[in-house]
Amino acid sequence: MKKLINIFSLFIVLSFFQGFADPVFSFEDSGDKFAKNFSEKPPEAGSIFQPSFCLNKSKAFERMDELQLALFYMKIANTLSPDDPEVSEKIINLKSKINIKSGDAFQKGKIFYQQNKFEEARIQFLTALRYKPDHTDALDYLKNKLIPKPYMLYSPKKDDSLKSISEKFYRDPGFEFLITYFNDLKPNAEPVPGQSLKLPILDPELSPAAVDIPKKITAAKGLLEKKRYQEVIGITDKILKNDHSNKVAIELRNEAFYQTGMELSRQEKNFEALTMFNKVTPGYKSVDKVIQKAIHKEFLKAELLLKENKYEESIHLAERILSHDPSNMATQNLITTAYCQQGRSLLIRKKYDEALKILGDLDPANDCANKIRSAAQKAINVQAESHYLNGVKYFLNEDLQNAIKEWEKTLELNPSHEKAKINIKNAKSLLEKLKKVN
Amino acid sequence: MSKPANGILLKLLLLNLFFLAACSTYGPMFGKHRQSRVFEDFVLLKTMPGDTFSSLASTYLKDPNKGWMIADFNGIKTLSPGQELIIPLSPLDRGGLKADGYQTIPILVYYNFSDSRSDKMSVSKDDFETQMNYLNLNGYHVISLDQLLNFIDYKEQLPEKSIVITFDDAWGSIYDIAVPILIKHGFTATFFIYTDFIGGGKAISWDQIKQLSQQGFDIQCQTKTHRNLAVLKKNESFKEYFNSVETEIMYPKKLIEKTLDKDCKYLAYPYGETNNLVIAMLKKHGYRAAFTIGRKPASFFVDKFRINRSVIYGSYDIEQFKKELSAFQKSELK
Repeated sequence: MKKLINIFSLFIVLSFFQGFADPVFSFEDSGDKFAKNFSEKPPEAGSIFQPSFCLNKSKAFERMDELQLALFYMKIANTLSPDDPEVSEKIINLKSKINIKSGDAFQKGKIFYQQNKFEEARIQFLTALRYKPDHTDALDYLKNKLIPKPYMLYSPKKDDSLKSISEKFYRDPGFEFLITYFNDLKPNAEPVPGQSLKLPILDPELSPAAVDIPKKITAAKGLLEKKRYQEVIGITDKILKNDHSNKVAIELRNEAFYQTGMELSRQEKNFEALTMFNKVTPGYKSVDKVIQKAIHKEFLKAELLLKENKYEESIHLAERILSHDPSNMATQNLITTAYCQQGRSLLIRKKYDEALKILGDLDPANDCANKIRSAAQKAINVQAESHYLNGVKYFLNEDLQNAIKEWEKTLELNPSHEKAKINIKNAKSLLEKLKKVN
Repeated sequence: MSKPANGILLKLLLLNLFFLAACSTYGPMFGKHRQSRVFEDFVLLKTMPGDTFSSLASTYLKDPNKGWMIADFNGIKTLSPGQELIIPLSPLDRGGLKADGYQTIPILVYYNFSDSRSDKMSVSKDDFETQMNYLNLNGYHVISLDQLLNFIDYKEQLPEKSIVITFDDAWGSIYDIAVPILIKHGFTATFFIYTDFIGGGKAISWDQIKQLSQQGFDIQCQTKTHRNLAVLKKNESFKEYFNSVETEIMYPKKLIEKTLDKDCKYLAYPYGETNNLVIAMLKKHGYRAAFTIGRKPASFFVDKFRINRSVIYGSYDIEQFKKELSAFQKSELK
């Protein structure tokens, strides 16, 4: 029996030690108990669960400048040996070192970024992030600021419209649909000051701004030498659509229009020449003089027509001149003179009504016109009086029908002839009475 | 046996049972119970018979596909019972950043295949088998585009030698020649298809695409007609171009999603060409990333809408293929 008791006692002791033979881990363990168990029976030498192993591992990573791994192993060491002051202190030191190194790298990165040295900046932000993986600012630079955006943000100003923004940004108001599309706006929406609009950045080959200006300038110069003015105008139009103030393009365009105008002028196509000259910047070369010269040539033609009593042709030509040079007084006077002469001609031919009609639009203060108008009106009144007297004669001869006809002609020429009105009324009354008597 | 002796024996037995019960959670090294401790940031454990990286990852990282994280961190390739392991519970190295450089992910793109002869755009069956075999034997992890994008989005860590395999255009030879080899090696891949081509003479069919999708392969978009998205056609107005690009982007996405009931969120640019307008449109319509053509492999800080892929030409021998597998870019980050 004693033997049996001894065997059991031994078994209990063995069981006791077996229970702690490897007492390191269980889900229920707290850190303290875990450490206590460890101290009672430490893991084998070289075990990764020994605090010293993790400590050494941490130091090795620190020497390699892999501070996050050093910190990770140090935290494990701290878990295994929570009362070790060296470990706790080392954790604080590592965290401090991490903050300093990541902070330094980030600041360097920002300086490079401000200097537009993006590759150098990227390396520094990566370094900051390697030291401190949760460095959100470094991450923001790497993932956002250093990656080109396919659009820019625009804050509308007061009085901006989608068309004006499109014109400003794309040099084409017709591209407003891009703004509505990428900002989920209705087609006729009005931009609101303060809102942020996404404006996709068009690559050069798509953008209306995508003109290789130096190349186009060279081409335009070559074409100008060859007097291929229309092509020069076409190219410079494209350049100026993209660069409104391109001085070379403006010069080339002026020259092309000027030379085209001169050529047309030589061909006596003065109005076509004027159209060209008017597209040239005022003051360019002698454009103002050649414009006046072309106008004068046409004025002389109008004057000649007037002398030939071709009033309507003269007036038509003069009006064309005024469409190019509205303040041309000589031409304005020529038109007035032409109308007057035409009116006088009509007066002479006793076409009083037509004369009055022609002169109707002329300035009431115009003497020539007034005289003709007055003479025409006087002649009309004389005619009216003549018809009145003819009517009286018919009345006295008891020819009431013809008397009425003459007085009606009087009223046609002079609607305010009161005697004619009364006589017509009386004559018609008599005619009625005669009908009843007969 | 006397009564006192019986009483002592009984007490000793109870005492022993008490100790055994108390010690049962610690258990023997190779017993039935896991010896592990779970902390906030990591797990310490000793392996048991039957443990695999995948099973441990499933238990502690909630993802059996992350067994490589345990292997990589502990610097081991195999497990044996009683092995001591540390399992970090969150990614320690999301960007793949080291003191001497950063991780890069090669993304390969294949076009066409042939049974025997290869030409510039067609890889022979034997060459493809050799290339996949090389990846398998040299520790490359073929990952999906979702994994790649989680890495690029700085959410997930990737195995040190990660690689992506993609196919463009949807030639029928991909299904006949490449897919069986991929399946043999257990590799995933992404197929970028342009939908007008599907079902044509030498193209893959929709039935085959559905089958691939059901097998776990990724089907994504390479536009509707394969037009160059970055270039206006002759006599095409800007508005016509704009409308055409929108169709090229939207139509295949809807068609793929409707047909396969899976997200279509990645696009491969035909001819590898793109521009800001196309990228802005892709972003507006919910694409997550898009791929160009280029030799520089992807890092986590790459522009997600200009991710390079390396073309594997039919003329490549294995040495030229190996040059496309750069998984690390040296650069002093300290």
